[in-house]
Amino acid sequence: MHSVPRALAETTDGLRRRDLIALTGAAAAWIVPARAQVMPVIGYLGSESPERYSSRLSAFRDGLAQSGYAEGRNVAIEFRWAQGQYSRLPSLAKDLVNSNVAVMVAPGGAEVALAAKSSTTTIPIVFEMGGDPIALGVVDSLSRPGGNLTGVSSLSVEVSRKRLEFMREVRPGTKVFAVAINPASPTSASQLKNLHVAADSLGLNLVVLKASTEPEFEGMFVAVHEVQAGGLVFSSDPYFAYRSQQLAALASRRGVPTITQSRDFPLAGGLMSYGGDFHQSHHHTGIYAGRILKGEKPSNLPVQRVTKVELFINLNAASALNIAFPSSLLSSADQVIE
Amino acid sequence: MSNAATPRSSLFIKYFSTLFAAAVIPLLIAGGSEAWFGYHDQRARLNDLLDAEARLAAEKIADFIDGIRDQLGWTVQLSWSDNPGDRRRLDALRLLRQAPAVESLSLVDAAGKERLFVSRIGLNRIEGGDDHSAKPAVIGARSDRTWFGPVTFQDGSEPFMTIAIAGTRAAAGVAVAEVNLKFIWEVVSGIRVGHTGEAFVLDRPGRLVAHPDIGLVLQADETAQKPLQILRAAILTRSGQAAAGQDMAGNMVMAAMAPIPGLDWSVIVTQPLAEAFGPIYTALWRTGVLLIAGAALAAILAYWMTQRMVGPIRLLEDGVARIGAGQFEHRINLATSDEFERLATRFNEMATELSVSQERSERINRLKRFLAPQVAELIERSGDDRVLDGRRVEVVAVFCDLRGFTAFSVRAEPETVIRVLREYYDALETVVSDHGATLINFFGDGAMILFNAPVSCVDPAFRAVGMASAMQKSMQGLLAGWRALDDRLGFGVGLAMGPATVGRIGSQGRLHYTAIGNVVNLASRLCSSAEDSEILIDRVAADAIGAGIPLVELDPRTLKGFDQPVPVFTVATDLAARSTI
Repeated sequence: MHSVPRALAETTDGLRRRDLIALTGAAAAWIVPARAQVMPVIGYLGSESPERYSSRLSAFRDGLAQSGYAEGRNVAIEFRWAQGQYSRLPSLAKDLVNSNVAVMVAPGGAEVALAAKSSTTTIPIVFEMGGDPIALGVVDSLSRPGGNLTGVSSLSVEVSRKRLEFMREVRPGTKVFAVAINPASPTSASQLKNLHVAADSLGLNLVVLKASTEPEFEGMFVAVHEVQAGGLVFSSDPYFAYRSQQLAALASRRGVPTITQSRDFPLAGGLMSYGGDFHQSHHHTGIYAGRILKGEKPSNLPVQRVTKVELFINLNAASALNIAFPSSLLSSADQVIE
Repeated sequence: MSNAATPRSSLFIKYFSTLFAAAVIPLLIAGGSEAWFGYHDQRARLNDLLDAEARLAAEKIADFIDGIRDQLGWTVQLSWSDNPGDRRRLDALRLLRQAPAVESLSLVDAAGKERLFVSRIGLNRIEGGDDHSAKPAVIGARSDRTWFGPVTFQDGSEPFMTIAIAGTRAAAGVAVAEVNLKFIWEVVSGIRVGHTGEAFVLDRPGRLVAHPDIGLVLQADETAQKPLQILRAAILTRSGQAAAGQDMAGNMVMAAMAPIPGLDWSVIVTQPLAEAFGPIYTALWRTGVLLIAGAALAAILAYWMTQRMVGPIRLLEDGVARIGAGQFEHRINLATSDEFERLATRFNEMATELSVSQERSERINRLKRFLAPQVAELIERSGDDRVLDGRRVEVVAVFCDLRGFTAFSVRAEPETVIRVLREYYDALETVVSDHGATLINFFGDGAMILFNAPVSCVDPAFRAVGMASAMQKSMQGLLAGWRALDDRLGFGVGLAMGPATVGRIGSQGRLHYTAIGNVVNLASRLCSSAEDSEILIDRVAADAIGAGIPLVELDPRTLKGFDQPVPVFTVATDLAARSTI
């Protein structure tokens, strides 16, 4: 009879002890990872300087935040900047690989993506570029990129010909147009070819101007007048894109009707731009970096194509150049700066 | 005691099982029915919810497609003949501006020639002149007004679809638009079913067209999408009711489906089973917790009740054991003011009764030693031994003894003497007992018997003579046997009637009942005087008998201690019998 209450007491004792062990275990499980958790590090490979990248960086951070990561709180970002010297990209990429980052973000064009790709085959890479990643040999397939990299592409490179078309609409009386090419860019050859095809179908003549460094910029604008071209069409190239302010200043100083890929150009006083929405593409890059940090495999993340192409027009620049925009262009513009 | 009676089952277990059943069975029934009905209600509710969500989603996607179609409708309202091409171009460019999903648009005239092509990516063409009349889009739009092409995946990734719309008049031509279906993502990702449910779109062959995770669409992996097709088939077999199945990640989901009219697409909305049946799991958990709590409560109550029972029971057990062991003065003290107290009171009363009755039986056992069994029983029944108190009463004293026994005892072996005496005593006791007399005591070969004391009886003298005759008869039978040992053995009886003092005499250890008086002496002398087989009776007794038994008066005899010869009577038949010998 007496054994029953004792057994009961032992049971409750046992429960209490077990609860205590479970609680301690849970507490330990809760504490240990927190202590052991080292903040994951994103290696960010930039072709330019933080200043030139600032709008892209904020878009990237927005995307990262959408995946639940904030720099300094649960993720650290290590930056490597090539300061416009694209030849330094491979060694900077190697540097990030040696820092053993969790994921490498390589935004800002094919050069960056290719530098990152050649530096590692294990660390996941998220690229951002305006060209066709398959044609540039970055990935084999958009839907199944395979390997350790995935990313975001825009249609900037593909729409170079549309810039020529728009320029012709702005300058309907002219048959000769200048095209700015960066010979250092891996997409320059294909863009030039596309532009020639487009010029043929539009019945235009092209004058190809080359520049791969800032000092060469001014010469191009001077040359436009020399060849009596109706306007200057910039091919898609990050080196140009990140120097939109400079180009805008040169274009207005030299009085050259110019179109580039980046909205930064008309926003800085240039005539117009037509190209992919870099805000969107960098935003997606941030989302992908976050998803990879969460454990997703890059090979399972298809390369995203930002399909939005935006047309920006600056009417102030137009009036300064004494250009009247046709209503067809104005109605198509995503933004008209007055 | 505890070893001998170790119970196989304890009160605790009995109480516990009863209380457990009382607490847990209703809980089980309530919990089970709650789960059962909850499941069915939830299933029905889920069916309605998912169905409504699916239809809503289908409507949203249909709206998206209709929006594009309506925009296209603008471009085919006017005939090519009375509409300048430049105006058309402006309309087309504005359409691209208005409908971001449209990547390119071609306008075909009544003859099937391409008159205008505008694109976001490629170069625009005016009056391209290519013949599109054989294209399925143009043929389809001409016959059905609106034509939706199959979903294609550009570069194996980006989902596109061709939408063609014909004007009300053939002269208005046909507008053919390439639509990027990624834009449906905005619609689909905006749909939330419950907390974690989602919606996605399958085209007719079962390829994923839209999904909140756009990556799944862009992967365009038909093997990975197989579960979604199975899910759709499962819903179809349930004739539109929500069905359970797996999503692409292998999670179990509840899914419902709605078709998108005109497109042959299906919108499927899913909700994870864990969330869908969350309320039921919660109910089951609750029931489980209540069951455990019920069991614990039952155990605590059982323990408490057992403890309440065990104390009194142990007191009672101990008390009963003591009383059983003869401690009748022991009393069980219980003040529980319930049945236990009543039981204890009963036990105490029992102990008192037992003690009284034991006292009495001890006394009676003592009395039995010198009282005839009938007398002893009488006293025992009445429970009153005051009959044994000293008093003066008219008694008949009977004495008897063996003749020639002293000489026999000297000669015979002791064993023989003892055996003879035993047979003698047995015979006497039997006769005395049969006649309701009181055997006062044996002394050697003699015995003293009393009538009318301590228990009074009717006609004591008559009874005494009857007994004496019976004694003689019995003894003569025995003597016939004994005479082989010694032919001088004989048996004589003397009796007298008269007042005597009777009562208990003796010390604490030795108690006797006896009679004192002249009548006793007389009877004793008459016995001594009697010869073998003779019964001598005094006058008082003889007078008392009267004519009841024929008596014969013998010659008065001189007896020791009596101054004058005493008149003596004997039973007539005895005399006759003796005379014949």
